[in-house]
Amino acid sequence: MRQQIIDTKINLHASGEADECLFEYLHAEMVNYALSKSCKNKEGEEELSRLEWMGFSVGYRIIERLTREWNRFKDELDMIKFICTDFWSSLYHKQIDNLRTNHHGVYVLQDNSFRLLNKVGTNSNKQYLQETPRLLSFTCGLLRGSLANLGIISTVNAEISTLPSCKFHVQVQRI
Amino acid sequence: KKQMAHSTTQSPIEKATLYVLSSEAKLMYGMLFSIKSFVSKISPLDPKEGFLYYKTSKYTLHYLETPSGLKFVLNTDNVTQNARELLQQLYREVYLEYVVKNPLCQLNEPIQSELFKLKVDELFKKSPLFLSRSI
Repeated sequence: MRQQIIDTKINLHASGEADECLFEYLHAEMVNYALSKSCKNKEGEEELSRLEWMGFSVGYRIIERLTREWNRFKDELDMIKFICTDFWSSLYHKQIDNLRTNHHGVYVLQDNSFRLLNKVGTNSNKQYLQETPRLLSFTCGLLRGSLANLGIISTVNAEISTLPSCKFHVQVQRI
Repeated sequence: KKQMAHSTTQSPIEKATLYVLSSEAKLMYGMLFSIKSFVSKISPLDPKEGFLYYKTSKYTLHYLETPSGLKFVLNTDNVTQNARELLQQLYREVYLEYVVKNPLCQLNEPIQSELFKLKVDELFKKSPLFLSRSI
């Protein structure tokens, strides 16, 4: 079972440059479109909820495709681990570098070279730090959507201190 | 000593770009434009690649134009070989990666990205053209 997933993943990788930049360019245009449609809110922050919602819908669907060969997950941590490894590598071609949790529903997923940021800057310069939240909200939605389809209701925030690394904070909502 | 002039101009936005270029860059652009049309008119054969470089007593100017109209220019001393390959590499490995793939870089204005500058610097410093001269 597991082997088949890995096989399809390798095929995805082998399919080359074109599919990779198609997603990147499309993502960039989605960001531009979402920004052009929204006006700034009171605090002067950009309105990114539309983008987050797009991510949510994509994540909700993608999880059906990625878990089709899997058995049910044991628990919440198992699902998060799946997100960090298989999910992340099929979308961003690498795994999450660091996963932390307080075992009470808070998970911090750290990617040291996030694919949507690694063409933008390095830790040596602070340029573009202001603009980076708009490159992360789709992915926040993606995480939230895929967890929602696995049965975890959550809120997801992103945090960047130095490019191109970033952290995603997942806060599980207990009902 | 190497110098590099880097201009990115494309026809629909040429005017906008030229407006912000320095006067030296405008002169450079004008000269290259004239040389290009001169070369294509004076050539007895159908020019495949057109203008490639010119050489003076002091330096050589290497010119690369992409099908999209982007122009890369590099000045070197007169003994340098393969500067054109380096320009191709600059286009492929630095411009494409760090400008075209950077969603925060607008393609119709001067390149501001610090990472781009860093990578240009890296590429040139590790190139054999650069090393062989700095001894």
